Amino acid sequence: TTWPNTDCFSEVAYSQSTGQKEQLSRCLQRGIRRVQDLCKVLQLPTVFEETAVSYFQRALQHPSFHLVSLEKKELLGGCCVFVTCRQHNWPLTMGTICSLLYAKQELFASVYLSLQKELGLSVPALSLGDLVKTHLNSFRLFQHAADVPAPFVEDKEKMVARTMQIVELASETWLVTGRHPVPIVTAAAFLSWQSLQPAARLTCTFTRFCKLAGVDLPPPAHLRLKELLEIFLRMASQLAWLRVFNMDKKTVVKHIGDLLQHRIFLLKNAFCLEDEEEHRAVALGEGSPRSPPAAGGTAQEEGCPSEGKRQREGGARPLLPPCLINPRKRLRTAAPSTSDSAITGNEPISDSEIEQYLRGPEEIRAFRKAKAW
Amino acid sequence: SEFKDDLSASPQLFTPMSPYDVDLPIQTTEDVLFGSQFNQPKELPTDFSVDLSFLPDITQDNKEQNLSEDGDEMQKELDGSISRNEDSSIFMDESSLSYPDATQPSPEASGVCPPLTPMTPMTPVTPASESSGIVPQLQNIVSTVNLACKLDLKNIALHARNAEYNPKRFAAVIMRIREPRTTALIFSSGKMVCTGAKSEEQSRLAARKYARVVQKLGFPAKFLDFKIQNMVGSCDVRFPIRLEGLVLTHQQFSSYEPELFPGLIYRMVKPRIVLLIFVSGKVVLTGAKERSEIYEAFENIYPILKGFKKAS
Repeated sequence: TTWPNTDCFSEVAYSQSTGQKEQLSRCLQRGIRRVQDLCKVLQLPTVFEETAVSYFQRALQHPSFHLVSLEKKELLGGCCVFVTCRQHNWPLTMGTICSLLYAKQELFASVYLSLQKELGLSVPALSLGDLVKTHLNSFRLFQHAADVPAPFVEDKEKMVARTMQIVELASETWLVTGRHPVPIVTAAAFLSWQSLQPAARLTCTFTRFCKLAGVDLPPPAHLRLKELLEIFLRMASQLAWLRVFNMDKKTVVKHIGDLLQHRIFLLKNAFCLEDEEEHRAVALGEGSPRSPPAAGGTAQEEGCPSEGKRQREGGARPLLPPCLINPRKRLRTAAPSTSDSAITGNEPISDSEIEQYLRGPEEIRAFRKAKAW
Repeated sequence: SEFKDDLSASPQLFTPMSPYDVDLPIQTTEDVLFGSQFNQPKELPTDFSVDLSFLPDITQDNKEQNLSEDGDEMQKELDGSISRNEDSSIFMDESSLSYPDATQPSPEASGVCPPLTPMTPMTPVTPASESSGIVPQLQNIVSTVNLACKLDLKNIALHARNAEYNPKRFAAVIMRIREPRTTALIFSSGKMVCTGAKSEEQSRLAARKYARVVQKLGFPAKFLDFKIQNMVGSCDVRFPIRLEGLVLTHQQFSSYEPELFPGLIYRMVKPRIVLLIFVSGKVVLTGAKERSEIYEAFENIYPILKGFKKAS
């Protein structure tokens, strides 16, 4: 077949001429259009759009997605865009996609996990470095504005560089694993901003900073800030010229620049790294008689038997995730007793034991009245 | 009046019950729902069996069951040998042991169901051999049983103290007993789910007690096809784990999305167990039909976690 312009007999693809495209179901067409719109809103490269659409088509053909609800199909499109971004190291968070789709995060999560499994997609982890750059793009503090005091405006490159360093430090000190990434970046951005001009900015609170910057302050960010400050304080205790000062979480901010510069050395001295064989052997040797203190438990034993001295001096502690430093009260019951393990499952069951679970006639009458069945 | 305790004579049978082959909500401490289908088996470095294929849901034992319609006759025949096997606490299902050349008795040929010969387990009875020295603790067992009679749930809720029934919310009676501390979901079809026990035997004992309650309420409840559907265990390797690194080196088995869930979800192929691995070093293992799978899965993951810790 040819086009109406008969000057040139150009070859036309079969799919274009026979209306094969029109045979795509309306649902699929709508879904594809939605995926494309999403890519345009996020200003993604064209190549992403093609990949996301192809994932979407593959997914919809899959038996597990073919018959799911329309709501889920809508989320499926978002998941495909999300996966594509991740595979290209484009730092798109689930939070962003969910808000664009007005989706419940649990539902999005289940569709995403199914998609990953059914299509066998390998999705690389979210790159924190890229997330820092993208997240800081939305901060409003890099240009002068009416509502932003002059000393609050900051150079973007400087802030990105320092925030990156703080996020890396957080990662090395176990503050990142298992946690939501965005609150960490927000807290790091705040500290980096404050430390670049502490004189003018120390009085500004985290909440005010986020408002001025025009970004959300997610609830975990306060805790991340606290944890970061604690790390910096410990590092400060190892810097000779800072030991004379009584550092607190306000004053340490002034020295973050120095602390970051010497972080490798400081980390090594401020925390005992628990990965040494001798330490573990010693710890296991004297494991049982030593009753674990309230914080840290066995992990602390493993880490620092020989660091005890330094612990008392410089406040060094094992480099561990916060959940191991401050363990929550254990609700778990003790291991099963010997009597429990002697159960065969075939024990005789007494009538009286069963009868305790049955209502007497008066009780039934009273219950009936109350329930009005 | 005394009800004959015919429940104690019923042996365990390995029958796939289709309503319960779906994944039941698993009570883990983190309250996560996940499916147990897996990708194609990948090459895993193992130092035991060469056989890397999945265990199909229908095993040789199930084929035996499918031959006869009435479960009761089978029960009496297999009673003798099976009750012996029930007492072995750790390795219960011989067909899941990893030696590829083992010949199983073939029931189709003989026409009569032979007693199951307990085979000597290849792996040592104590799961903590020379490797980790850590034994995962069982936290929850989910089992199902068929009471084989239609039940009037309203009636049960009226006459039993330990029952909850909100038909608008859920179409089953929720019943609890104190010892073993468990919860049961009892459906009008006569099917029952028992959750919360800490061992297979406790789960069975609890299920029998629920069946007894139902019997005492006047229903002709039996105790058919008791089956352990899922087992959950947990333990602590006692060192922190860099999940972001683990997901890189074991990408085909791992899913780590801190935006969704703080733990790494590791889908082990052999045995077919799902592990939740947390930064604290705590590990949850689930999806097992037998406790040997939990122990085996942990022994498999421990060197990975340990070797990983050194490298980081």
